[in-house]
Amino acid sequence: MRTLLLLPAAMLAMVVAAGVPLAAHHSFAAEFDGGKPVTLRGTVTMMEWTNPHAWLHIDVKGPDGKVVSWMIEGGAPNALLRRGWNRTSVAPGTAVVVQGYRARDGSNRASGGDLTLPDGKKLFIGSTGTGAPGDRPEPGGKK
Amino acid sequence: MLLALAAGIAASALAVLVAQQPSAPATAAGAAANWTPTRTPDGQPDIQGTWTNYTSTPFEVPDKSDTPDVYAGDLDGTGRGTGPSSFLTDTSGRQLTKARSLVVDPPSGRVPIMPWAEERRNYKLAHIQDDWVNFTPWERCITRGVPGGIFPAGYGSGYQILQGPGYVAIVYEMIHEARIIPVDGRPHLGASFRLWNGDSRGRWDGNTLVVDITRYNDKGSVATNVATQRVRSIPQSEALHVVERFTRVDENTINYDVAIEDPKVFTAPWKVAMPLHREPDYQLFEYACHEGNRAVPNTLSGGRARDRAARAAGSR
Repeated sequence: MRTLLLLPAAMLAMVVAAGVPLAAHHSFAAEFDGGKPVTLRGTVTMMEWTNPHAWLHIDVKGPDGKVVSWMIEGGAPNALLRRGWNRTSVAPGTAVVVQGYRARDGSNRASGGDLTLPDGKKLFIGSTGTGAPGDRPEPGGKK
Repeated sequence: MLLALAAGIAASALAVLVAQQPSAPATAAGAAANWTPTRTPDGQPDIQGTWTNYTSTPFEVPDKSDTPDVYAGDLDGTGRGTGPSSFLTDTSGRQLTKARSLVVDPPSGRVPIMPWAEERRNYKLAHIQDDWVNFTPWERCITRGVPGGIFPAGYGSGYQILQGPGYVAIVYEMIHEARIIPVDGRPHLGASFRLWNGDSRGRWDGNTLVVDITRYNDKGSVATNVATQRVRSIPQSEALHVVERFTRVDENTINYDVAIEDPKVFTAPWKVAMPLHREPDYQLFEYACHEGNRAVPNTLSGGRARDRAARAAGSR
């Protein structure tokens, strides 16, 4: 009896653990380096609500005072909308802190992760499974 | 009493086990018998509306031989290269079907792919930074294919079905594709016509829309997105033949199943079954995309940076 009880649970666990695999439009590894995390403090200049990926443009002031423009790749617009984003979430001029991973070619691009607004509220611009508001853990997803 | 309890538990456990088998679409077939769809003015069963396919059910039954990082295009084999967590996906509103995989035939839940096709897939995914020809048609924003375009991708999951006299049209959110399916009995195009998405011809079998698709070219893939795992980037041949069945079983559910045969690519025919859920408030978002927009040039420039680093390392 115990076996019978455990078996379906084990099978269900297998299904949940397997989850649905990653579903990016393109290969993360081909474009970004998972070994090069980056944290950027800057000011929003533009948000492109485009498929297959939204792009956030920010100006980042370096230690030397020089301003450098960065582009942050985000999720698809409908993914962000379902996660609680809207057109006013990152209006131009908003000060943000973005965590992400740098582009492999060394240019000022990154794959976005957590984005922190001036009031401390966090939005997740990229992947799921990090505990960001409105975000659900991804079954079996890599942390 | 204890015996009865044990029997009851065993029965319920068995029911769960049966429900986990890859045998039936999510919605009970009984629902179809009790529910009659309304008709369009020209007499077709009405399947119109906005539908989505969010699911947490894996495409295939997992196997220990799987290499998901390879299917996702992980280049350095570290596993981290697939991105932080589920890179850029939309998990909201996902539903678990009662099958253990969307592939319901063969009963193993595994697609019978020929070795040469797997080798070609592995080469293309591992060399995606080398040349644009190694990208899937999806990444290049050409097409997700038929039936691949209706397999769950995790985002961009909306489908709008419209019907007019003699036609069913399906607008796919992802890659802004519109399929025009004649249901007026006309024959297929001549065999000299070869199309990325084949030539669709529909007919009504009771309340089920049956679509026969043939006349494919050999440029596309039967599935393109990472959620299809092992089947991603598996090529299609001109021998591909697909039969889709759309059955609206209640107000909010279409049971979609598809039979796929391609004797040059698969050792046997195989089937996928899954529900489409009515979501009238869902809005399809514009998908204005050309060659991946930024993804193709950025990926290729990542490859050239890799080449420069390799040359620099070699000259030291």
